[in-house]
Amino acid sequence: MSLASTASAKTQPSTLARLFARQELALLVCLILVLAFFSVTVENFFSVRNLTNVLGQASLPLIAGIGCAVVFISGEVDISIGSLLATIALPLIIIMNDTNSLLLGVGGALLFGLIIGAVNGYLTAYAGINSLIVTLGTMFIMRGGVYLYTGQRAIPDDASLDSFIALSDGRLFNIMPYSAVIAIILLVAFGYMMRHRPFGRQIYAVGGNQEVARLAGYDVRRVKFVCFIISALLATVAGIILAARVGSAQHTAGLNFEFQVVAATVLGGVSLAGGIGSLTGMALGVLILQFLSNGLRGLGLPTEWQLVITGMIIIAAVAFDEAKRRRANGG
Amino acid sequence: MSELTHATAPKRFIGGQLLGSSQLVLGVILAALCIAISIAAPQFYSEANIIAILRQCALVLIVASGMTMLIITAEVDLSVGASLAFVGCIGMAVLNSTHSLTLGMLAALAFAGGVGLFNGLVVTRLRVNSLIATIGTMMMLQGGVYLFTREAVQNHNQLASFTDLGAGYVGAVPVPVILAALIFVVAYVTLRFTTLGRYLYAVGANEKAVRLSGLRSERLKLFAFVVTGLCVGVAGMILSSLMNAGQPTAGRGFELTVIAAVILGGTSLLGGRGSLFGTLLGVLVLKVIDNGIIILGWNQDLQMVVPGVVIILATYLDIIRNRANVR
Repeated sequence: MSLASTASAKTQPSTLARLFARQELALLVCLILVLAFFSVTVENFFSVRNLTNVLGQASLPLIAGIGCAVVFISGEVDISIGSLLATIALPLIIIMNDTNSLLLGVGGALLFGLIIGAVNGYLTAYAGINSLIVTLGTMFIMRGGVYLYTGQRAIPDDASLDSFIALSDGRLFNIMPYSAVIAIILLVAFGYMMRHRPFGRQIYAVGGNQEVARLAGYDVRRVKFVCFIISALLATVAGIILAARVGSAQHTAGLNFEFQVVAATVLGGVSLAGGIGSLTGMALGVLILQFLSNGLRGLGLPTEWQLVITGMIIIAAVAFDEAKRRRANGG
Repeated sequence: MSELTHATAPKRFIGGQLLGSSQLVLGVILAALCIAISIAAPQFYSEANIIAILRQCALVLIVASGMTMLIITAEVDLSVGASLAFVGCIGMAVLNSTHSLTLGMLAALAFAGGVGLFNGLVVTRLRVNSLIATIGTMMMLQGGVYLFTREAVQNHNQLASFTDLGAGYVGAVPVPVILAALIFVVAYVTLRFTTLGRYLYAVGANEKAVRLSGLRSERLKLFAFVVTGLCVGVAGMILSSLMNAGQPTAGRGFELTVIAAVILGGTSLLGGRGSLFGTLLGVLVLKVIDNGIIILGWNQDLQMVVPGVVIILATYLDIIRNRANVR
């Protein structure tokens, strides 16, 4: 037994084993298993229509998940994104109703998002307040602010601009929902930034070891500040798509959205401790959860079961990941 | 360096030593709030209003007592809101079928304690970050309660003892307030005057050191999770008594209010630092603000905005004061 184990330890691990050690591959296998299982058990699951539909639904957590992952990798958290979704829908819809211009509405929404991100970022990076507390606070403030402003009523989109409606039901080449296209473009762009641009490396460095990053000459505060702005702006994009989908500014929009995104991000192997994880992993995490919930619905399970099963999967996935890491570190 | 600290130590004034200065700030904030509100609305100091405030504090304080212990050990539980709703439904259902308050209460405690145990085991044995683990549990409970019942579980037998749990009085004091006070005192004494309490602080401050000195840090954390769960059990029964039904939708956002109160009270999310007395002040500040907004006739949606501002502001003040102390 001991002979065999020493022998195997000395030889190079097989290619397959090395591939499996990569988080993303394990997730990809999970995703394929989910797809395979439901393709067999649910009629019409594996159809272009259904798969692209799910991609469209996944676009919101995918887009917001990029920001969530970036903030996690920098070693902070942002749980204000759910409330942000409801907040930025107000300037978007109001400006569009007034000016009949999608561009101005989106510009207004992005400006709001920028300000919110700057506030979160300033309070965390420069004032030094724990980011969980900051974003818990702004989460309350924004949700309460939306309730106050709207009197807990939805503000309908009266302009009904074609370009805005296209965001919800339009499809590129009549196949891929525009929202999914936007999500993929943003994923590729930010994936490139995180892997190949100096700023992406700075984010990993800051999250991995803040002190070392500081000594290496990185402006730790500025990096974190920008991460919060990225998170808020991406959540704004998700909020714009959501507003298009429901055709109004809903005061309850995005309730519990932050938990859904955080769960998928962590499932994708992005560590809350900072410095670890990838956008590919996050995207796979989102897709696994979305296809799972779509498939379970196809099986006729009530939506409540989806919540229960999602919760179990998240705990199991993180526990599994943790066990693997401990074994890799020799216990 | 050590000479410096020796020199500054005696200069601290006694009040600060007694309370810890963050509590002092909070006490001043609370006093200022009470004065400001009572000037604007004299009925603030009526007996009925004070009892109303205390009753609203009770639920939050009960769960916050457990949560303070848990956060001191550097863990957190986001599932308390979802658990609160589930516990109320289960307690009510058992009460309906057994006609016994004791059995209903035991079922609620067993369920809520079980949730705490589950969270604790996932965090300590499987090493899952508690923020994630309890988000997972929260989802499971939110889904689970609807699988258990889609509608509110009505109170069928109207036991007087059950109604008293939420709405009764002993003398002039509401029963929930007495229960909250009891739980608070037990938790306070445990944290402050027992070895167990010291160990809980130690685990939060430096878990490795605690393990190396031969203590089982996992057991201590597990204990804090179970205590938090049991507190939710008590609160869940009181809530269903107050609503005269088990509501599956109850407790939305309750976890955030509780955590906000604990943080406001000066307990650090990093663990090892904090006090139950601070939590008591935190709960009072939040609920006095809530009450003030109502009796001043302001828009009740401010009840979400103001606590958000207060949490950030209080934490910031704490940081500024710490920086000043270091200098």
